[in-house]
Amino acid sequence: MERTLFFSGNEAIAYGAVRAGAVFACGYPGTPSTEILETAARLEGIHAQWCVNEKVALETAVGASLAGVRTLVTMKHVGLNVAADPFMTLSLTGVNGGLVVVSADDPGMHSSQNEQDNRAYARFAKVPMIEPSDSQEAYDFVAEAFALSEEFDTPVLLRSTTRLSHGRGHVIPRVPVELEPRDYVRDIGKYVMVPQYARLRNRLVLERLQKLRTRAEETPLNVLEAGTADVGIIASGVAYTYAREAFPKAWFLKLGMSHPLPYRKVARLFQQVSRVAVVEELDPFIEEQIRALGLPVVGKAAIPADGELDQDIVFRALEPFVSRRPPRRRRPVFPPAPRLADPPQPAPGLPVRPPVLCPGCTHRAVFTALRRHKLAPMGDIGCYTLGALPPLLALDSCLCMGASIGMMAGFNKALGRKAAAAVIGDSTFFHSGVSPLIDAHYNEAQGLVIVLDNRTTAMTGHQGHPGTGLRADRSRGPAVDIHKLCEGIGVRCDTVDANDYRALDAAIKAELDAPGLGVVVALAPCVLMVREKAGEIVVDDERCNLCGLCLDVGCPALGPRGGAVAVSDVCTGCGLCIEICRRGALSYAGASGAGAEGAR
Amino acid sequence: MNGTTTVSLVGVGGQGILLAAAILAETASAEGLDVKASEIKGMAQRGGTVLSTVRFGENVWSPVARHADVVIAMELLEGCRGLGLLAPQGTLVCATTTRIVPGSVLRREEEYPDDLPAAAAARGVRLIALDAEALAREAGTLRAANVVLLGAASAVLPFAAMSWQRGLAAAVPAKILEVNERAFALGRGAVSNEEVGP
Repeated sequence: MERTLFFSGNEAIAYGAVRAGAVFACGYPGTPSTEILETAARLEGIHAQWCVNEKVALETAVGASLAGVRTLVTMKHVGLNVAADPFMTLSLTGVNGGLVVVSADDPGMHSSQNEQDNRAYARFAKVPMIEPSDSQEAYDFVAEAFALSEEFDTPVLLRSTTRLSHGRGHVIPRVPVELEPRDYVRDIGKYVMVPQYARLRNRLVLERLQKLRTRAEETPLNVLEAGTADVGIIASGVAYTYAREAFPKAWFLKLGMSHPLPYRKVARLFQQVSRVAVVEELDPFIEEQIRALGLPVVGKAAIPADGELDQDIVFRALEPFVSRRPPRRRRPVFPPAPRLADPPQPAPGLPVRPPVLCPGCTHRAVFTALRRHKLAPMGDIGCYTLGALPPLLALDSCLCMGASIGMMAGFNKALGRKAAAAVIGDSTFFHSGVSPLIDAHYNEAQGLVIVLDNRTTAMTGHQGHPGTGLRADRSRGPAVDIHKLCEGIGVRCDTVDANDYRALDAAIKAELDAPGLGVVVALAPCVLMVREKAGEIVVDDERCNLCGLCLDVGCPALGPRGGAVAVSDVCTGCGLCIEICRRGALSYAGASGAGAEGAR
Repeated sequence: MNGTTTVSLVGVGGQGILLAAAILAETASAEGLDVKASEIKGMAQRGGTVLSTVRFGENVWSPVARHADVVIAMELLEGCRGLGLLAPQGTLVCATTTRIVPGSVLRREEEYPDDLPAAAAARGVRLIALDAEALAREAGTLRAANVVLLGAASAVLPFAAMSWQRGLAAAVPAKILEVNERAFALGRGAVSNEEVGP
């Protein structure tokens, strides 16, 4: 075994991550979290990168996790507010390679604008919260956090605070963790969080929380430490070290995994002693949950709810309580597992009517071209998310607004090749797609970003956005040009007419063959804004053998009739089916065998 | 329940469900009743199912209800699905000649239902079936099929003709009011002229 090291908590987290087999780390600097990534960047065996903000960092980390590697993402407490959008839904999708989110909180606001207690995020997102109390635990618990993440298919939140991050202590290094490689497996039910899939995942999250609580009862991270005095203290993180020093004879329930709370371990402490206090910095996170069990505790009535603690504050706060007459013993009442709503029951025997891309929607052409390539296309939020569903099956993920580009970047970085693409709408691009594009350029991520520019915010009913200049009151403001914006960033950009399938197909192919990062803007106004029909499409019943190629793009205007395909009156004449047909069976009325040579 | 009547309007995005619901809500308001309405329309423009619920009575609390007294269906498949929304003894008003075929049926993965009258009878539901598109065309525009159905439903809803007039005038844009009034009258007339199921 190597010699004992002397690490700050932040260094210990970085070393612990490498020891746990993490090979990808990212984050945004913020005191007191910064040195975690700075340390990782110096270490062998792990790629570390600063991202443009915490949201992009988390999305990039999710991409790396999906690619199959253990991934660490670091930020300060307020950074998690920025990353909250992907974080909340990541709880539903879960992970592939273990994913640990470090939130470094700053009680006392040494260098922060607030002192929010991010344990609330663990409860909010229903994910485990790991709280080391010193450098050795920081080093050790990171591996535990990664293992939990993979076992329970969840992101794990690891909370540091200023005194852990910037405190130092001895660390005994451990043997590196051996890992089996994890392949990426496409799973739209898990990674595409459209309502029908998200409802099912949400039930799994609620069930997972119950299983995690059972684990919290069993894990050695939560330890009941015997004392000699008739006093018990429940504490987590650095607060434990203060309480331990102030009351050396007390019993302790030390919580290394503070969420979900191990109710029975709490009850066991109450069996041992007649007075119990909770020592925690900032919010009464643990205290309120214990009170909910009907157990009498002293907490924030004595321990300050703001600022940092130390052993002196803890001692003075709890001294009177220790000598006071103990409260009457009470039995805990454990809350039952919550009931889940009855799952939706589809009407038996009736066809479902899922939302679909409109007839003539040019997204369909992009997806048809894109799915010719063996890629993991990361999706985003808009009408085009529907392209993830059958029969198109053209997108692999939908996490939150603007997540596609960061996820693509992380995925491709982790695998070292162009294995993923990103598909994002114009309005979503302005919402939160520009930052990750800047980030992907800065970090030299490989990949293809397709911006589906239909000149509107279509899904919600055709609202304007900066790309169109159209404002809420229908007045016109200056418009931002996506193509120029991309070039201004320094990213190669090709804008093609999305109504021209062949040009689209060629642009995508060219971009995939090119090195590095590039954008293809697939430009065509939303078909709902284009009123006139492009042409009448007719079927040559002799040539059509109902092979199903055109039906496979999910156009509502196409269906079989007899032994051939029939075009219904909802057809807009976009002509994609003409391009797809290999037998030249479809053509514009009047044009002789327009599609006769077929698409490639 | 408790003197509150629930009407659910179902169909496919683009069929004018929200306008029909607005007319109904205005009509109930014109009767001096308390009204609550809610709709799920996020997927309305993408060919998904749209459901709008209007509840009226002396004092309406909840905006939703598990069962409706009347279901107005703008399309046959959604009418079949709407049976599941009906309370026993309820009435289904359905455009039984309107078929908007979903992709899974086009691709022959699922079958479009074809026996609404039997299904309605089996559930003890009164079915008012009509060719809403034909009547709407007769009124002057296919787009008024929603109001044809509303006219048919008015036969089983407890509102005065004057209230319906006020409801239509309040919810329908002035330049298409007349054609919608004709559509409403044709729908209402169709019910009294037709043999109505149990």
